[in-house]
Amino acid sequence: MKEALEQSSDDSKLKKKKLLLGASIAVIAIILLIILSNLSCTFPSLVETDYCIVARYWDRLVSGFLTTMWLYGWALMFGFFLGLFLSLLRQYGGSIFSRVATGYIEIIRGTPLIAQLFLLYYGLNLPLSNWNIYTQFQIFGKEITLVFLSPQILFGIIALSLNSGAYQAEYLRGAMTSVSSGQLLAAQSIGMSKLGGIRHIILPQTLRRVIPAWSNEAAYLPKYTVVVGFIGAAELFGQAKTIVSLEFISVFTYIVVAIIFLVTIAIISRGLEIIHKRTGIPGL
Amino acid sequence: MIRVENIWKSYDDFQVLKGVSFDLAEQEVKVIFGPSGSGKSTLLRCINMLSPPEKGDIYLRGENITLPGVNLNAVRTRLGMVFQHFNLFAHLKAIDNVSIGLRRVKGLPKKEAQTKALEALNRVRMAEWADHYPAQLSGGQQQRVGIARALAMEPDVILFDEPTSALDPELIGEVLQVMLDLAKTGTTMIVVTHELGFAKAVASEMIFLGEGVVIEKGTPQHFFVSPKSERVRKFLIQLEVLYGTHEELLKPMDEEKY
Repeated sequence: MKEALEQSSDDSKLKKKKLLLGASIAVIAIILLIILSNLSCTFPSLVETDYCIVARYWDRLVSGFLTTMWLYGWALMFGFFLGLFLSLLRQYGGSIFSRVATGYIEIIRGTPLIAQLFLLYYGLNLPLSNWNIYTQFQIFGKEITLVFLSPQILFGIIALSLNSGAYQAEYLRGAMTSVSSGQLLAAQSIGMSKLGGIRHIILPQTLRRVIPAWSNEAAYLPKYTVVVGFIGAAELFGQAKTIVSLEFISVFTYIVVAIIFLVTIAIISRGLEIIHKRTGIPGL
Repeated sequence: MIRVENIWKSYDDFQVLKGVSFDLAEQEVKVIFGPSGSGKSTLLRCINMLSPPEKGDIYLRGENITLPGVNLNAVRTRLGMVFQHFNLFAHLKAIDNVSIGLRRVKGLPKKEAQTKALEALNRVRMAEWADHYPAQLSGGQQQRVGIARALAMEPDVILFDEPTSALDPELIGEVLQVMLDLAKTGTTMIVVTHELGFAKAVASEMIFLGEGVVIEKGTPQHFFVSPKSERVRKFLIQLEVLYGTHEELLKPMDEEKY
């Protein structure tokens, strides 16, 4: 048994090395590809191709991508804590609180995200002046502006978090119910409070078990950030629309955007898969 | 040490316990048995207040624990419980299953808790499996860890809820052996079980529970030699048939055929 355990830890080290190697090769390949293709755009005959025209706007794509990831990161995190809270209420909150949580989850899941966003942003009709907090930096001689906070970004993050929280709550509740209720009884039988049992026994297992289902949400959410573009945030899709309106090259621009999403989400899923394997409970 | 007085308990419309009473003395081993659905497990859960009774009182060393305002978490550290399906914490190693109560409930420093946990594991002969996770252990080993988890808290009494009935036959022995050792070293125990051999060896009193009431009480001797009620006699015969010790079964089978 012990030999087997050592064997498997050796395997995982080997896998880790392979993975790092694979990742670095991929990154180098992408960078080389971009440099090469940019060099190729200096040939006069290629300057007017779709590719080279869109490539000139790479700064917009970078800033759009960063904005998208910014929205995604906060929404996923706030959504997670909201979801955790809601799932606990629904599972252990007694009849009244669990109904409130269920009601919230059903309303959010039953209405379109864009309607929720518009309702918050336009419907509340808050007197918002046009302020923002941003940073500017240079990459390869081009100035890139990244807006951290503006009414659009703020409401985008709020709406995405409120929405994602409802979905994450259901994933978490699913994982929570799959931890046998006997363990909570056992925790109470050695004198733990119910809350202590939830914290020390139920939650650590829930968080391990939720990863495969939760990766759904982690993979959906980057694409949902697109709706924040509709209230004027310059995320990836919004930037793509600008490029299209300037150059009338729609198919290629959107293909580029699609590829960026595809690669991002592939990386996220793979990362979560690795975390899931690493945190797995031996023997289960 | 424990006095159970007139316990009533129902789930929804079904009345499970209808006035159960008994006394448990220091270092006594009490065996509760009876047909399924008679309320044995419910009775244990009432005693450690995991599902509080609707009516009746439970006294633990003179203190009525059914009164409102009693700190039940503190009471439960004094009432160990061993479950039919072990209910080990799946994400923790055997040693941590045993030490988590010492650390999180009794607030012992990690090192001291580990030492005590290892002692408890040693008593159930599981010390060398301390670093294994529950899913890497057999049912019998898991149940012994379950017993160690209860033991480590140094409770006044340990409640066993059918500790061997979810085990494969060849694993029952190792668990019963540990329980026998505990009984012989003076551990106070209430055991719900159909292991009559265990009862015969260590029980000071047996209680037959049927449809929520105590039908008959007595020493193992009393039950095996001269049970009073028809209900108990029938049940004991069924158990004998089950374990292949009934005299009808021991007769040569095919006599009439030849």
